[in-house]
Amino acid sequence: MEVIKDTEHGCTATEPMTSNDLPSEQGEIIIEEITRNHKLLHRHRLKQSEISIGRGYHNDIILTDPHICPQHLSLSFSQGAWRLNDNNSVNGTVLEGSKSSNKDDHQQVINDGDVIVLGKSQLRILFSDHQVEDTIAFSPFESLIDFIRHPIAVFISIALFILIAGNISYLNQPTETNISQLFVSAFSMSLLFALWPAGVALVSHLTKHDPRILAQLGISFSFFILLWLSDLLEEIIAFNASSNSLLGLISTLVPIGLAFSLFWLNSYIGFHVSAKRRIVVALSITALLFGGTYLLQYSKKPEFNPHPQYNATIMAPRYLMAPSNNVETFLKQSDVLFEQANKAAQQD
Amino acid sequence: MKTLFTLVFILLSHTIFAAEQAEKIFAQLTPSLYQIKLIDKASGEKSSIGSGFQISADGIIATNYHVISSYARHPEKYRIEYLDYQGKSAQVDLVSVDVINDLALVKRQVDHDMPYFILSDKKPIKGEQLFALGNPHDLGMIVVPGTYNGLKKESFNERIHFTGSINSGMSGGPVVNKAEKVVGINVATSGNQIGFLVPHEKLVTLFTDYKNNPPTDIKQQMSAQLMANQNKLMSALLNNTWQSKELAGKAMIPIIDVPFIRCWGDSNADKKDALILAAIANCSLDENTYLSSHFFTGSVEIEFRYMQAKNLSDNKFYHLYQRQISRAGAGNRAGKDDVTEYQCHHDIITPASTAGSSQEIKNKSIFCTRAYKEFPGLFDVLYLGASIDKNQQALVSHFTLAGVSKKNALAFTGKFMEAVSWK
Repeated sequence: MEVIKDTEHGCTATEPMTSNDLPSEQGEIIIEEITRNHKLLHRHRLKQSEISIGRGYHNDIILTDPHICPQHLSLSFSQGAWRLNDNNSVNGTVLEGSKSSNKDDHQQVINDGDVIVLGKSQLRILFSDHQVEDTIAFSPFESLIDFIRHPIAVFISIALFILIAGNISYLNQPTETNISQLFVSAFSMSLLFALWPAGVALVSHLTKHDPRILAQLGISFSFFILLWLSDLLEEIIAFNASSNSLLGLISTLVPIGLAFSLFWLNSYIGFHVSAKRRIVVALSITALLFGGTYLLQYSKKPEFNPHPQYNATIMAPRYLMAPSNNVETFLKQSDVLFEQANKAAQQD
Repeated sequence: MKTLFTLVFILLSHTIFAAEQAEKIFAQLTPSLYQIKLIDKASGEKSSIGSGFQISADGIIATNYHVISSYARHPEKYRIEYLDYQGKSAQVDLVSVDVINDLALVKRQVDHDMPYFILSDKKPIKGEQLFALGNPHDLGMIVVPGTYNGLKKESFNERIHFTGSINSGMSGGPVVNKAEKVVGINVATSGNQIGFLVPHEKLVTLFTDYKNNPPTDIKQQMSAQLMANQNKLMSALLNNTWQSKELAGKAMIPIIDVPFIRCWGDSNADKKDALILAAIANCSLDENTYLSSHFFTGSVEIEFRYMQAKNLSDNKFYHLYQRQISRAGAGNRAGKDDVTEYQCHHDIITPASTAGSSQEIKNKSIFCTRAYKEFPGLFDVLYLGASIDKNQQALVSHFTLAGVSKKNALAFTGKFMEAVSWK
């Protein structure tokens, strides 16, 4: 990176342009106006040997950035190479990623893929023989997403969600309830949950991506339903398994996996990012969600809990699959608890 | 009219006589009465007060354990002082305790033999007039006349029922008969002229044991007493008959046939809008052992709850039922320094006693225990059994035991689990 700058000369000076000898050679150049995050704003393809860039309206590429001079810089093609020439601009010009060895204060050779920083704007220079990345084949998710974003599928998933939410609030009501009350609470619940896909769609819209709201809604609600099913599964396992069973631990991992998949698909639908970045983003949101919940619970945990913590999950007899034990085995297992309690008492 | 006069005269003369006697008793016994104060070393101020009385010429003073309990558990933080009738104060040493009967012996320095209270050699008779002495609310020494009403009914560790005002601060003071002999020690009140005394025999035993074999370590002594008491209580519970009784006509529950476990019942049959019909029976030991103001032990609680759904789906019934059993707590108060946190486990259990019969019950059984930090070998345990084999009916069987050994806890749990079934 090198700064080409000369503050002694103001850029308002209307110095006549030092035009090159002859337009004998013609180069082809692609100039991309990009944001600081390297997002494409405009793309220009020019076939001429002299290109002027600046705020003035006589330039080949007119930029509106107030930190740029009316005649900020020019690019010239000669001897098979493009050179950059800064016209004594106020804020200077920086050529990023240049492999050039030319240390000339005013002229530098531009390579394919270089980024020119002028004022607060950036330009990326590409040549027509620039190597593009391989074509990405449609992933199998594409057909799934196509199916899920169908209005009927979206409607069905939301309706199913409302039904489940209604059932859950019915189960939790200790007094008698009527259908309309349940429907209102279930409906408001679904509105609340719709905030997530709507938010993701909004962000992708703001970041110049296709919002794809239906696809986001369909995917999110399908996963909300799956998460509830995993809750049910977890409950059935907690009901059936005894406390020293490994199944309980495994069943807590299912919702984490489901949440990760949901976030991954959200980002797959909404944003064009590399596969690695998508995994990192989905992982971080999952970690934030579950880690945050854990931290919250941990911070609320008193230093000493005088109440016993046990799993009291019980369900109707039809969910019972485990065989029952007899009292002797239960007492034998209880024996171990006394040892644990003794150990805990000795530790303090 | 004449009879009325006679009656009034008799009554009057009786009260005058009682007052005179109270005065005489008070005057004679005052030199051997003390206020016992627990002084917080750091602040130099008293943190609790009670009464005490000298029972030997060489300076042994009897009081309640609960008066000096803070010192017994944290000797580094406090010191014990007496204040005598002349207003003199000096430090005393704790020499022996009986946590079960709430008694303690402290020893003061004496230069010469001093007057002391004689412990009675026989029990009072019902209706006999007694005099309770003590220093209520730090107001000065007083004497309260009252009546002996026998031993408290249904108590595991005996207490005398005394009809007379006993107030806080009088704890540890003596109760004497007309012959000025000690028959009890003030210990508790239920308000409204109902007081409780520790029978003097307990003090006699403690004093004799002290003379024969003084304890070297108060904590070890307490530990041994707690261990022995729970053995006595648990063997009484385990060896007496467990009557099988119906609950709401649907379930069979055990009722332990000992007088000191008392049972109460309740149901919500009157509540028409309740979604679940519930009938509850609970039995408990009325007394417990005081170890410190935040640590009690020796309690026993047993509860049975029968529930029946009224117009509910199975899922909803079980959902509401789960809430009923998700917050069982300890039966006794204990803190971080006293006990560990609970360790729990659960499983699905069918007791062998009724397996295969029509009475068979399938329970989700939960067992929790925590250990005592200063009294090794003692635990609090909690058991919760929730039936899971009927769609619209449920039976919860639950108990907590405080301060029991592992062996007794497991024996009780096993017997309890086998004794609960459907009808």
